[in-house]
Amino acid sequence: MSRETAAFAATSPAETEWVTLLRDNTRAGGQGAPPIAALSRARWQARIGASIRSAPVLHGSTLYVASLSGKLHAINVETGREKWNFAAPKQIYSTPSPFQEKVLFGCDDGKVYAVHQDSGAKLWEASTGGEVWASPVVCQGTAYFGSADGHLYAADAGTGKLRWKQALGGRVYSTAYAAEKSIYVGCGDGHAHSLNAATGKIQWSVLTGNGIDSSPALVGGTLLFGSEDFFVYALDANSGAVLWKYETGLGISSSPAVADDVAYIGSKDGFLYALAVQTGELKWKTRAGEVVTAPPVFSKGVVYVQSWGTMALDAATGKLLWRAGLGGSVQGAPVIAEGVVYVAGNGGEVYALE
Amino acid sequence: MTRILYLAGRRVNSSNVPRSALGDWMVRKRYTSRLCKCNDFSVSRVFGTDKNESPVYSVARAASRRRKKILRTVLAIQEKVIVRFFGGRKLRGPDQAMDRRTFVKRTCVGSAALFLGGMDGLASDDEVKIPPPPPIDVREAPLAKRSPLGIPGLYPGRVVELSDRRSIVGNRVSQPIVRQMLERGMRELTGESSARAAWAKFVEPKDVVGVKINPSGAPACCSSPELVREIINAVQSAGVPPRNIVVYDRFGYEMDMGSYQVLMPPGIRVLGVQDDRLDASGYDAEIYCQADFFGEWETRSYMASVVARQVDKIINVPTLKDHSASGVTGCLKNVGYGTFSNVARSHRAPISFTNPLIGVMCSVEPLRSKTVLNIMDGTRMVWHGGPLTQNQSFIYQAGILLVSTDPVATDTIELGLIEKKRQEQHAPSVWERNPKSITANTGEFYQDANKNLFYRQPGHIAAAGKLGLGESDLKKIDHRQLLMG
Repeated sequence: MSRETAAFAATSPAETEWVTLLRDNTRAGGQGAPPIAALSRARWQARIGASIRSAPVLHGSTLYVASLSGKLHAINVETGREKWNFAAPKQIYSTPSPFQEKVLFGCDDGKVYAVHQDSGAKLWEASTGGEVWASPVVCQGTAYFGSADGHLYAADAGTGKLRWKQALGGRVYSTAYAAEKSIYVGCGDGHAHSLNAATGKIQWSVLTGNGIDSSPALVGGTLLFGSEDFFVYALDANSGAVLWKYETGLGISSSPAVADDVAYIGSKDGFLYALAVQTGELKWKTRAGEVVTAPPVFSKGVVYVQSWGTMALDAATGKLLWRAGLGGSVQGAPVIAEGVVYVAGNGGEVYALE
Repeated sequence: MTRILYLAGRRVNSSNVPRSALGDWMVRKRYTSRLCKCNDFSVSRVFGTDKNESPVYSVARAASRRRKKILRTVLAIQEKVIVRFFGGRKLRGPDQAMDRRTFVKRTCVGSAALFLGGMDGLASDDEVKIPPPPPIDVREAPLAKRSPLGIPGLYPGRVVELSDRRSIVGNRVSQPIVRQMLERGMRELTGESSARAAWAKFVEPKDVVGVKINPSGAPACCSSPELVREIINAVQSAGVPPRNIVVYDRFGYEMDMGSYQVLMPPGIRVLGVQDDRLDASGYDAEIYCQADFFGEWETRSYMASVVARQVDKIINVPTLKDHSASGVTGCLKNVGYGTFSNVARSHRAPISFTNPLIGVMCSVEPLRSKTVLNIMDGTRMVWHGGPLTQNQSFIYQAGILLVSTDPVATDTIELGLIEKKRQEQHAPSVWERNPKSITANTGEFYQDANKNLFYRQPGHIAAAGKLGLGESDLKKIDHRQLLMG
């Protein structure tokens, strides 16, 4: 584990927590959770009335789900009933991000909101010049988020006060990876950037062949992400040098999840790929649907991915273990905790499956 | 909670109702109060959401009877208007305001065009006979004067076809090559010496410019983001600020598949008119086409508000694609069906009424006057399985762009290109009428080029021509082919 990622090991959430995209800031995809055998029933199902394009997150006994109606819903995971909702002015594509007593999320009105996790009361808001689809990532008291206005922002996670913003040249829909000293993020103009976490100064930039929608992961000094130019990239996190790249059949907007030195990532060609982190060697690839844009997640030897349904694959071989025709979203990642899979779909349904 | 719906007096569970029908319901639901206020007869199909009928339902049924009576009258008048049409009289002056009689005329042109096409009316014994389309009523925005830039535009009958094999390599579109093709095409179309001057003929700095893409079929085949970015650059070169450029389509989730939101430059708007099939909030209740094709609940298709009220000019960026229901999906279908809600109801396997609905929709103001330029993306050509196929076996990397102001002429060229490719691949013509070619198995359709879900209706192109939307006679089309590399 690199020095950069070590900062998060001490602050990883409890096993029952799933507080940001791919569970925690290490982008390990929730590998600590016990595997789930074939799903037998729905503990509950909730319909929130509008399409869901982001991933749910779990904090304590509450599942947070954002929808295109502009509402952030807090759902009791025991009953499936809504505790509260917060109505933002416009649509929400951003995956919520709990931090301390707050839940942060971006909105199409160009703002990032922080609401209280117990009441939904607004605590602060921070403005940008465009839609915010990325999930705010909090590291050492600072929230980092990109905007369609082409900037990456850093704000005080306690107050929302702007610390810095940096122009990047393209729309920023990629969720940033926040390490101890550096922020890594992809950009719609095709650049991957490393920025100084304290000042926002660009440390290096690498141009790929098309825009980057994928959210990067950092493993042992290697930065992994996909590009719409069809390639999965592995860069040296210190210099930006390309260590290897692997070509898939179409563009990539899925994000990598990493476990045991293997990176798992989906492509719009419909396959889920397992690649060796060190070399880029293909371990296996499995057709998961017509198009895969969601990031995969793990639970001890099992990798899960959504593509017009949820499927579980053997992480070692890619063999299909089971498939559930629920959770029609192709963008959202499931949450796995205590033997339950939480999925949300384009149709506005949220399921707790066990 | 399970929502109970009523369909033709029968209680059904919403989970058993086709998506299109649910879409119909939502559109109706959103507009119910508004329609009641204006005493519109269409409220007749509002239905209850519980065991008992909605209070409005019984009132509405009476209105429905009145509407049927009116429709019978309309049908009677239709015959007289057909006579006028055959007599070659001008049907509608440019300054004529919309009224209910306009419905009648537009209806008859569509029907008559189908008849004149002769394909289905003259079916042989082993071919299926397609039923005639129902009347189509139109309510449109009254215009003081139709724009000369509107369909068929400044250069009726002229189509510039540019070919460059370097424009797509390894299934990746080359933006620099596409830029060269676009600039050359615009100069050839307009006769101007510079691309900038060519673009200035279509857009002005004060305009709000809509770029109507086709994301259906994304990611395998859709309007290439590389081409769209070049169009945006060109529009900006004509002085239009980024904030006045809107890249849009009906379905936000299809745009997500193409990652357009990410791939467009900062500052411009990227808009999906509806977020899912049940969202009617992005449509204008005052402008619509109305027809009862198969007894569907919602008989209206409403115009997108972004077209009706927000943009001044539209750059149409369709793809070069086969379409299982309409034969091809090109300029006409992209801008027509891509502007109105609830259009999938026009085809129910194996019958398709895309002819004449596509042309009728393109003729509706203000869509017609605002659509000033067509740039068809033929870097990839789908010759079977359109519009949604992801099967690369049916996607040919053709390396073509078609530039024109005339959507009918462009689609006529497109039809020829797709027919030629299908012939090369030993696939049946898109005009195929043999019942043995039809399958109800979508899996089979997506794997077998000999099978289709519908009797395709490529006659919609000629029908649109008869509505005055462009030239469909190949002999009269000024087809300029430029080989660039």
